Amino acid sequence: MARQFAKAELAPIAKEIDEESRFPWEAVEKMGPLNLFGIQAPREYGGAETDSISYCLVIEEISRVCASMGLMLAVHNGVVVDPIGQFGNDEQKTKFLSPLVAGEKIGAFCLTEPNAGSDAMAIESTALREGESYIINANKIFVTNGGVADVLIIFTSVDPGNVKKGFSAILVERGTPGFEVGLLENNCGMRANPVSSIILNDCPVPKTNLLGREGEGFKVAMAALDNGRIGIAAQAVGIAQGALDASLKYAKERIQFRVPLAQHQAIQLMLADMGTMVEAARLLTLNAAHVKDRGGDLSGPSAMAKLFAGRTASRVASMGVQIHGGYGYSKDYPIERYFRDARATEIYEGTNEIQQIVIARELLKRGED
Amino acid sequence: MDIVVCIKQVVAGDRVKIDPSTHSLVRSAEFSYINPFDLFALEMAVQLKKEHSDSITAITMGPKISEEVLWEALTLGADRAVLLSDPRFSASDTLATSYVLGMGIRKIGKFDLILCGMRTTDGDTGQVGPQLAEELGLPYIGAVEKLEGEKGLFHVERVSDGFREIIEISAPALLTISSKTAVRLPSLVEIEDIFTRNSVECWNLEDLNADPNKVGRPGSGTWVEGLAATPQKKSCIFIEGDTRQQAKVLLSKLIEKNLLS
Repeated sequence: MARQFAKAELAPIAKEIDEESRFPWEAVEKMGPLNLFGIQAPREYGGAETDSISYCLVIEEISRVCASMGLMLAVHNGVVVDPIGQFGNDEQKTKFLSPLVAGEKIGAFCLTEPNAGSDAMAIESTALREGESYIINANKIFVTNGGVADVLIIFTSVDPGNVKKGFSAILVERGTPGFEVGLLENNCGMRANPVSSIILNDCPVPKTNLLGREGEGFKVAMAALDNGRIGIAAQAVGIAQGALDASLKYAKERIQFRVPLAQHQAIQLMLADMGTMVEAARLLTLNAAHVKDRGGDLSGPSAMAKLFAGRTASRVASMGVQIHGGYGYSKDYPIERYFRDARATEIYEGTNEIQQIVIARELLKRGED
Repeated sequence: MDIVVCIKQVVAGDRVKIDPSTHSLVRSAEFSYINPFDLFALEMAVQLKKEHSDSITAITMGPKISEEVLWEALTLGADRAVLLSDPRFSASDTLATSYVLGMGIRKIGKFDLILCGMRTTDGDTGQVGPQLAEELGLPYIGAVEKLEGEKGLFHVERVSDGFREIIEISAPALLTISSKTAVRLPSLVEIEDIFTRNSVECWNLEDLNADPNKVGRPGSGTWVEGLAATPQKKSCIFIEGDTRQQAKVLLSKLIEKNLLS
């Protein structure tokens, strides 16, 4: 279904929405009825409640054709819907989860600030208690889906003197007084996703919007990111597969020295390496998904999948450009879009280096048997 | 009303591999999908089902991996799926295939309509539909674009040689479908539910009580002796001159080759 949807609805517009940096509402509106906005969400809130393997396959197929929409869905499902399902109370689930799952509302996850990102504890935003509300001040940047999001998880501190103690996750709705969408980022890739800054200026939010407990924000963020990394790994696998698809097509079409490129051994060696890397990245990703489905400790497997799949996407897309030669450097062929899109998967949802820290920590923790 | 839809697993065009000993297609699950014309037949059945609360049974003959397309048929609206699979069925030509399908449908028993795709995108003979009608002794209309009606009597539209024919046909009957209806995509919830609740029934030669001499190679009236790709001759001519001159030369060349009347 996801493959057919991507082929029918996204393939014809992927190039254009990238060029125009346009969010394709016409295609996005068709995703809700197919349950793409609540892939793993509970049935009682309208979700499909699939396992994580199915989730990865859906994200991969969408990203294979359009990485921007793969990203939109991976963020919405992986780091917004999932943590609300995990940490939200019944009231919050009814109020926020149902419209998010139906695709009537789009979610975003706001952690990064000008001086905080990989170092989450360095956030400067604050939420001061005032009666039944929090008054939030925050400057969040690089917010995926920022330009279109209706429900945002804001990471802030309810104790400005002690960020570690006060670190909390609060649900904020677009349209709350003081809520402002800042400038859209002029990014190198994923250009159809309206990544923006989000500014909250003395923004009053009911205390009932607190996700989890006060001080539990780091736990919410880490759980969301462990989970989200599987989605981003799947997205990276999709980009890599798309780059491989485009390269295989081109290698069979392009004639040099009177034979198709595909008959030159130098090209075959590249294609073989690309195919092997994509398959390895896919299996690491599906392994992380399997660990999640079994209820195992996700941190190590999801960081490994995300690290390897991100590198694979960049490497495979870069090799794809090489196979395309001069045309690979031109906007006339899709490979340059894959090349630009791929690079982000090594940066967001935790950079390669953060994944390495997580992986090393997990390995060392395990010790020797 | 009960509808049987015959479907076939076809191999993606660029993935076609031929077994050199049998000259038949090598099928693999990974690069196979439902024959697009069968999807139209299935969708027509689904539309009828909406109006008359029918039951739809999807049936196919093939190796075990053909189960994949039956699962897809279930997600697209079939209520029951039957796979006719037996090593002795392999190398069946259209005649033997029609016999096996016929025996399968006899075992299903109750039906008002059998819908088949008009042809397949791989074998492309268009023979199985009419042969199956013959096997079961049913009235048959080919290349149907529109189908309306109640239990017992149907009005059918087909386009042939530039004429739209409207034909009345009584049930039970077999129709091959050529309409290109857009197929509705199933939601994830529907897919999940289908895989939890349904199953694909698998019947072999004995289950069908079929005659081993009427299936596979022994039951086939034809067999493929050889298969070779035909070279495609393409040539490219560059026409010189300004646009007006180029158009003039192009026109004369087209007339010369009898491509313009």
